[in-house]
Amino acid sequence: MSLKPRNVDFTETWTHLKETVAGVVGLRAVERSVWNTRFSDVYALCVAHPEPLADRLYDETKSFLEEHVAGLLARVRGSSSLENNDHNDGLLTRYVTAWREYSQGVAYLNSLYSYLNLQHVKRQKVSDAEIIYGSAATVSCPENDARQLEVGELGLEIWERVLVRPLSTALTGRIVSALCSARDSTPDPALATTLKEAIHSTVQVRAFRVRAPLQLYQQLVLEPYLAAAGAAHARMAAALLAAGDVAHYTRLALQQLEREVSLGARFLDASSAEQVRACYERAAVAAHLPALHATVDKLMRDAATDERDGQERRDDLRRMYVLLRPLGGAALRPLVDAAHAQATADGHALLAQPHNKDEAHTHFVNAMLTLHGKYSKLFADVFGGAQAFIGALDKACSAVVNFRGPTDSCARAPELLARYCDCLLRKRGGGGGGSGETDVDEKLSAAIVVFKYVDDKDVFQKYYARALARRLIHQLSASMEQEEAMINRLKAACGYEFTNKLHRMFTDVAVSADLNAKFQQHLRDTNASTTPGFSIQVLQAGAWPLGGAMAPLAPPQQLERPARLFEAFYRASFSGRRLAWLHHLCTGELRTRYTPRVCHLSATTPQCALLLSFETVDQWSARDLRDALQLGGDAWWRHLRPLLDAALLLAEGDVGAGDGGGEPAPDATLALNLAFSCKRTKLRLTCANAPSHQGAATAGAGAGANAGAGADSGESATHCDDDRKMYLQAAIVRIMKQRKVLRHTELIQEVVSQARGSFAPSVAMIKKCIEALIDKQYLERAPAALDTYSYLA
Amino acid sequence: MSGEDFDALDRGDNDGQKSDKMFTLKKWNAVAMWSWDVECDTCAICRVQVMDACLRCQGESKKDSYGKQDCVVVWGECNHSFHFCCMSLWVKQNNRCPLCQQEWSIQRMGK
Repeated sequence: MSLKPRNVDFTETWTHLKETVAGVVGLRAVERSVWNTRFSDVYALCVAHPEPLADRLYDETKSFLEEHVAGLLARVRGSSSLENNDHNDGLLTRYVTAWREYSQGVAYLNSLYSYLNLQHVKRQKVSDAEIIYGSAATVSCPENDARQLEVGELGLEIWERVLVRPLSTALTGRIVSALCSARDSTPDPALATTLKEAIHSTVQVRAFRVRAPLQLYQQLVLEPYLAAAGAAHARMAAALLAAGDVAHYTRLALQQLEREVSLGARFLDASSAEQVRACYERAAVAAHLPALHATVDKLMRDAATDERDGQERRDDLRRMYVLLRPLGGAALRPLVDAAHAQATADGHALLAQPHNKDEAHTHFVNAMLTLHGKYSKLFADVFGGAQAFIGALDKACSAVVNFRGPTDSCARAPELLARYCDCLLRKRGGGGGGSGETDVDEKLSAAIVVFKYVDDKDVFQKYYARALARRLIHQLSASMEQEEAMINRLKAACGYEFTNKLHRMFTDVAVSADLNAKFQQHLRDTNASTTPGFSIQVLQAGAWPLGGAMAPLAPPQQLERPARLFEAFYRASFSGRRLAWLHHLCTGELRTRYTPRVCHLSATTPQCALLLSFETVDQWSARDLRDALQLGGDAWWRHLRPLLDAALLLAEGDVGAGDGGGEPAPDATLALNLAFSCKRTKLRLTCANAPSHQGAATAGAGAGANAGAGADSGESATHCDDDRKMYLQAAIVRIMKQRKVLRHTELIQEVVSQARGSFAPSVAMIKKCIEALIDKQYLERAPAALDTYSYLA
Repeated sequence: MSGEDFDALDRGDNDGQKSDKMFTLKKWNAVAMWSWDVECDTCAICRVQVMDACLRCQGESKKDSYGKQDCVVVWGECNHSFHFCCMSLWVKQNNRCPLCQQEWSIQRMGK
């Protein structure tokens, strides 16, 4: 057969072709040779000479299919009444049977017409680009679209127009009623398959369309179904709530949700899963939010208990969360608030538990860790560790940690936490509790958890620095590795600036160890006589929290010599440095030679000096001795008293008793108690009642801690306030220098966000700082606007 | 320093001067504080205390390397002192002491 265009008699060819088309669409057997001939006929018609007959062929085919589908319509409708919605009346089955046959047939027909499709129709088709960018043609209503379709598509279009439209109400009613009954009881398999195919036919019919391919499905199935389902869900939920408590509701509501989702997955198009779920949530959960929210507080309270009941309440809460989560933040809000309130209340209760006052720091940290651990676990367990709840816990912890009673001037957290760290890092006396090194490490890491919640980090730093200084100077640290690790942890939490001074203190101690070794080597090298038991720590000024003036002291020759040697050595090793002795921090150890039993005395340098003064004389005039040692002011009595208390020295007359630096009477004398005896071989002399200005390094330690603590924290509070004002002023200047002009509220916000790392500034304090800066002419109020500041360069 | 060391030293001590002593100093843990020997403890260029690192070094968060401070002090012939970092930047523009306008020459460096 030639491919050349030729004259074709349309009527004759179409008569043959039509017969075959009817066969194909009806799925009747068509012989291979007939098929091939008809295939050629389509070609011949399309390329016919002188006029191609493709358009006519297309039109004839179209009217043939319309007729055919109209026949199918009659078949499908059968005797069923279109008004009722009985899905078992056979209409659905007939519809599906007809659809199977027809869709298959049209697919074959599409192959038979493939030349027409390819050569004739394709040319007219809209390109993808046109669809995306919307040419005039695509904007026009698809119903009026006169463009030709591929024959397969044409068939589907006719099916929709001729068969589905007239039956639409009947189909919808039956499908929806079938789905609804499928929700309550599993349908028999035949009906299930029919239902599924019927639903999917509405998708397939329009699958070839680029625009709104799911439109028919949505109109015919999804929307009516969702409307019906919503009403059913609402009824179900109301019944559940009426029938039992929330536990009952959440359990069944979740089951229903699962059933609904699987129903959707089984019968509906995959694209609708989200809508089905949302519809359920809206009708069954969102509509009852007030009722659910009303129970949240109690649930949360019960869930936090350890009793057997708690586990069930936690399950309830978990289900409640699963139900509420998809509804967004507003629906979850009461849950989050309840979580916050519960954690806060629990935290306050934990802190208020009776405890030993000396163990307040341990109690505080342990209570906070218990709180944090418990609720972290609870929220992770119940709410899957959702961000909102972690946030609520953080807020609660922060509120509890920084809680300030009506009588407290400032929160005690920084002090307690610093004391807790101090206790852990200190050498433990004799076997203490057997807590190993890893144990301490863990506890310190845990302390960081609490630390992060502390608002007044700068106050903590002050307490910590003092305790660290004490540990380092008096060599009380259990381990230098732990000290360094802890500083690094603080640095990780708060940054370089926060731990800068701590680092420098730590470095000083390491450098001093080196220096000692070099000094001893130097003494050996120069053949100078050794200085037994001499060791020194050289601290850098500015890094150590050693407040107050250094008490002067004219040390006796035994102490003077090593000191001079070291000074010489130090001057040779470094240049441009000044060295000052901090005698009140030095400790010495003396051995008595005049007592029947040798006794080791450890004491501060001034005390050593006092004792060593009796090397050659047994009695001193108190006033002379004081002048000889240049122990001025209250230092005299402070160092002297422990010696008198221990009966090492005997006083006669008023030697200057009283903390205020009383003057020794002219005739008062001090004598060495030659009859001194002590049961123990070691005696530690302290000067416990150190006044706050000088005792920065010793206050708060040991037995006298509680007496001194009040004055100590009061003093550090004012000190802290000054530091904060400086910090705030610096921050304000930095911000204003960058911004030049800024409104009051914005400035406050910026300052607060900058300061947050080390403390929570009060707005009143920021305002004061702004005033101060205006007075100092760093800033001025902008002349035009009242609430705006501008920077004065 | 361990206890044995002291006892050994102590015995040596005993040999030298017999027991006419009332006390023996066995151990002395001295504490001293060093600071730069300067007239003014603030660097006039960066307005930071000379004991602290200069602003620039603080900004770079330089950690003091073991025992050696990176940001040392420098004294000019005029006896004015500054951070060495600050001064070395200053002299690139103006080789005079910022305080007294004398020609800048280094007298000594902190170590």
